[in-house]
Amino acid sequence: MDTQSYHPVQPGVGMEENYLSLDDILLSHERLPIRTECAFPRLGFLEKSSDTQDIPEGTKMELPLWLSKGLYERKRRVLSVELPKVYKEGWRTVFNADSNVVDLHKMGPYYYGLGSQMLHFESPENPEIAQTLLQTFIGRFRRTMDSSQNAYNEDTSALVERLDCLEKALFRSGQSGLNGFQSWEKGQASQLTASSLVLNYRKRKITDIQT
Amino acid sequence: MAMDPSEVEFLAEKETVKIIPNFSLDKIFLIGGDLGPFNPGLPVDVPVWLALNLKQRQKCRVIPPDWMEVEKLEEMRDLERKEETFTPVPSPYYMELTKLLLNHASDNIPKADEIRTLVKDIWDTRIAKLRLSADSFISQQEAHAKLDNLTLMEINTVRAFLLDSLNCMYKLRSNLQPSSSKGQFIDY
Repeated sequence: MDTQSYHPVQPGVGMEENYLSLDDILLSHERLPIRTECAFPRLGFLEKSSDTQDIPEGTKMELPLWLSKGLYERKRRVLSVELPKVYKEGWRTVFNADSNVVDLHKMGPYYYGLGSQMLHFESPENPEIAQTLLQTFIGRFRRTMDSSQNAYNEDTSALVERLDCLEKALFRSGQSGLNGFQSWEKGQASQLTASSLVLNYRKRKITDIQT
Repeated sequence: MAMDPSEVEFLAEKETVKIIPNFSLDKIFLIGGDLGPFNPGLPVDVPVWLALNLKQRQKCRVIPPDWMEVEKLEEMRDLERKEETFTPVPSPYYMELTKLLLNHASDNIPKADEIRTLVKDIWDTRIAKLRLSADSFISQQEAHAKLDNLTLMEINTVRAFLLDSLNCMYKLRSNLQPSSSKGQFIDY
């Protein structure tokens, strides 16, 4: 395995993000629908639809998660965050009915991560959101597992394209277990191969290395 | 981090197997146990790694373990299919030993092909069962389970996947109690 000594910081999944996780940074760029509760002077350039210098109170706009999280306060009303559609009651019923039919990549692609982060905004529906996230994960577990454990040396893009980012990571770890075992069974594990690092090293031109 | 299957095989090679050597050698004193003495034609217990090495140098004949026999394996396969839980296996390394012995000493094992098929059947039955129980484990949101008769190789193929899933489930579950997760920061 060529990824053995590469340990990227894993995403936090729960309510706390991991500061250095690239996945969590990408997740925090997801846009949320918000409504300003006070005027934002001299920030009019953020709001493209009007030419004013300030953002007036009561404007509806979209802000990335990291910014909304930074500005949100329970006591001082700076902004109020609306739930994205997928976490609202309508979609929650769909998820609870049969979570397997939903295309979480289109909905998400950070369905679980963003959903957990939404809990920071203390919406009254929080318990229901958390419950739906958990039930959706449980409901889809079998499919993720079966597809990752059965597809061997196949094109897995059709299986993966409807999975959320978190499920994709799970799919990959399922595949690595399966592939490890299968290559052992076929006797590939006992053949010595050059490390991918060495192979790539040779491909570089000698002038690149010298400079 | 899961182990590589070849590391599991490494552990399996410590199991002992009977061989009939065709050379003589005094008792040898190895770290971890004395072996021998070796006399031509007399069966002696040695670890699998040594048995395979001697076999490759054509210095011995391997006697397959008691359980590596078509009738016993057929019985085991039928029992495995009938039972809902995992049945005890003849050796904690049955998969690895079958593969090693059949690959390197198949001429010493009667009905090698049938044995290979049977062991593969048993393995497939057990893995399907493992997946079924993992699914019900997750859907009932359990936090612990007992897997007595699973072998290391079986556990190892699903370890990464199952542990990652359980970690995710744990975190999604702790979302339900928001107060408990606050104020905890992981330092990197």
